[in-house]
Amino acid sequence: MPKRRNLRDSSRRNFLKGAGLVGAAVAIAPPVAADAIPTAPQERLKAALPGPLQVAAETIPPVNDPVNQTSSGGDFMTDVLNSLGIEYLAINCAQSYRGLHEAVINHANNKPEIITCVHEDVAVHLAQGYAKIEGKPIAMACHGVVGLQHATMAMYNAWCDRVPVLVMGGNIMEADKRGPGADWTHSGVDIGAIVRDFTKWDDQPASLQHFAESAVRAYKIATTPPMGPVFLALDAELQENPIPDAESLRIPKLAPVVPPQGDSGALAEAAKMLVDAQNPLIVCDRMARTPAGMANLVDLAETLQCGVIDNAGRMNFPSRHPLNQSFRRDMIGQADVILAIEMNDLWGTLTSFSDRIVRRSRPATKPGAKIITLGVRDLYLKSNYQDFGRWQDVDLDIAGDGEASLPVLTEAVRHLIDKGRKAAYDARGKKLAAAHLAMVEQSKTDATIGWDSSPITTARMCAEVYAQIKDEDWSVVGTSIRLTWPHRLWDFRRPYQWNGVSGGGGVSYNLPASLGAALANKKHRRFTVAFGGDGDFMFNPGTLWTAAHHKIPMLYIVHNNRAYHQEYMYLVAMAARHGRGVDKMDIGTTIKDPNIDYATVARGMGVYGEGPIVDPKDFGPALSRAIAVVKTGETAVVDVVADPR
Amino acid sequence: MNRFKRIAVTAFAMAAIGVGVFAVARAQDAPQGDAANGKRIYLADGCFTCHGRSGQGGAYNGPAPILAHTALPFDGFKEELRNPANDMPAYSEAVLSDKDIVDIYAFVESLLGPRSSKDISILNN
Repeated sequence: MPKRRNLRDSSRRNFLKGAGLVGAAVAIAPPVAADAIPTAPQERLKAALPGPLQVAAETIPPVNDPVNQTSSGGDFMTDVLNSLGIEYLAINCAQSYRGLHEAVINHANNKPEIITCVHEDVAVHLAQGYAKIEGKPIAMACHGVVGLQHATMAMYNAWCDRVPVLVMGGNIMEADKRGPGADWTHSGVDIGAIVRDFTKWDDQPASLQHFAESAVRAYKIATTPPMGPVFLALDAELQENPIPDAESLRIPKLAPVVPPQGDSGALAEAAKMLVDAQNPLIVCDRMARTPAGMANLVDLAETLQCGVIDNAGRMNFPSRHPLNQSFRRDMIGQADVILAIEMNDLWGTLTSFSDRIVRRSRPATKPGAKIITLGVRDLYLKSNYQDFGRWQDVDLDIAGDGEASLPVLTEAVRHLIDKGRKAAYDARGKKLAAAHLAMVEQSKTDATIGWDSSPITTARMCAEVYAQIKDEDWSVVGTSIRLTWPHRLWDFRRPYQWNGVSGGGGVSYNLPASLGAALANKKHRRFTVAFGGDGDFMFNPGTLWTAAHHKIPMLYIVHNNRAYHQEYMYLVAMAARHGRGVDKMDIGTTIKDPNIDYATVARGMGVYGEGPIVDPKDFGPALSRAIAVVKTGETAVVDVVADPR
Repeated sequence: MNRFKRIAVTAFAMAAIGVGVFAVARAQDAPQGDAANGKRIYLADGCFTCHGRSGQGGAYNGPAPILAHTALPFDGFKEELRNPANDMPAYSEAVLSDKDIVDIYAFVESLLGPRSSKDISILNN
């Protein structure tokens, strides 16, 4: 790297300077007093002490060896990050990116604003939750070796969830620049290797211009559908040392990629299939990228007067819309044409699978049903981790961004609908609306079962929360109880009222990702609420310190079932299959004896804590107090001892 | 139970589960069980993990049906335990005796079923 040769290399001299001073101190040490306790036998000195000339040669810096600098590569890197509009830098501090860290604070006056996290997993998950609400990524920085190892699982969740996050890890590329000790254990030849299987792109820039181009490229790649996390290794010397040739540096221009629209001919063919169908059905998962996504899908569904099953990877479709049939999965077996938009697991959605000794599967679809897919997921896949799911036969596979393609598809559908069809569609819509209404009423009735029980049922837990926040500008950003009661009982109608789940199913997502979403909601003055499991909470309780430190308002309900409950159920099933010991499956699956007091943990982190709430009558008043705290701009935790599901 | 009858009983049970309706006629010939012992087994053997402590239903790999105040005939209930039609674990006699099933049945029968949601104001927002 020619540029580096121009820089003065003071690191080795400084190291030797320290060693030389020690040697000089030994050389001029006074004679030992007669009554002093000897500390080291004389014979241990094996080598001759350096003479004055040698000491001088090793320790006295050249007259022109700089000790201060007026520019740093980190300054330029910060300028690049700010040119991308990155609002926050979530970090767990580390010397390998100290150059960037200092530059963000002093060169750019803490812009992007640093969010201090107590674990790299928190920082990445926080970025994941933020991006799904705000629609753009933030950056994260960590030690490139040991910090990145902590960050990996969260990056995997972001990858599976197709969420953009710009992760940066410090490294010292040149071996002769590394100091003794940690500089070596914290450096690597290819530190991005550990995350390459679940990032869209990574690079290790070797110059500042290289960094600029790679950072802009990384941002562009991360935010182009299908989105995903990206990684940059940042050389420490590049960050810390003076900029050798500032005049030659330029920040590249970012032109955001316009997401690809599906082929117009294929969309016209899809429109014809949908219009001709007797029972068309839309299924979707991570469809809505922007606030326009939901409106586009509503337009198509209303034009066709067809049902929508929303797997809720994003806020795709209003929960109380009459065409929302998400809790009527039997409709999959009745549909003659299924339009699947931006699906994560299409095969899993369209298949009945038995988790038994012999793992059998059969299509849940009607024989002869036609399947159309529209999405970009398959445009970028990797092979090692198997999140792409099982192969699904389809009839028309349209590569194109769902949200971008919907207006064209809807317009094509509209052109094909004549008056006769319109009447039939209206009749179909009325039947679906009646079924939706019946589902809502059934949900309310089901929610009454065990209403006064202790532990509190999850239905009551959710109903009590909704009763107190429904008039706020609320946003639900986490769940521990699958897509059940909130989506069955609450009126989700705004694009930011839901942001999906973890993606990879890696536990520890919920608390920090909810905080990231709350960070995004803060400037919009939305009321953020999340339900999170106790098991998830214990992976990263320190997230709450970040909430307190940065004064991020969030109501966090700990759904405390005192177990890793899904695993508890799996273990009961395993014991039953083996015909033994079904009454011992709490071993290794429960979090009790002692019970954890999450409110106390929360208070220890500097946020408000209520609970444990055991009696359902106590929950409403505790919620009221917690909500009042959240409205002052802080996080409040309510620990609810609740039934498992 | 012959295969046809088993399928029929299972089909009935699944139909009832599928629509979440249990307001059909109750089996009159169910054996008398010990509901208190049934509750103990229900909690100890993990039934509550999927179906809830109040029999309100829940989720395992998919929705787990409501059991509170069940109207399933005892034969159908027992058949679902011994030879479930879906992902529910099969409880053999090695882990759950016929007497245990009778007691569990008595317990879930004794649980309060749904009531009118109109009686609970916050469910009507």
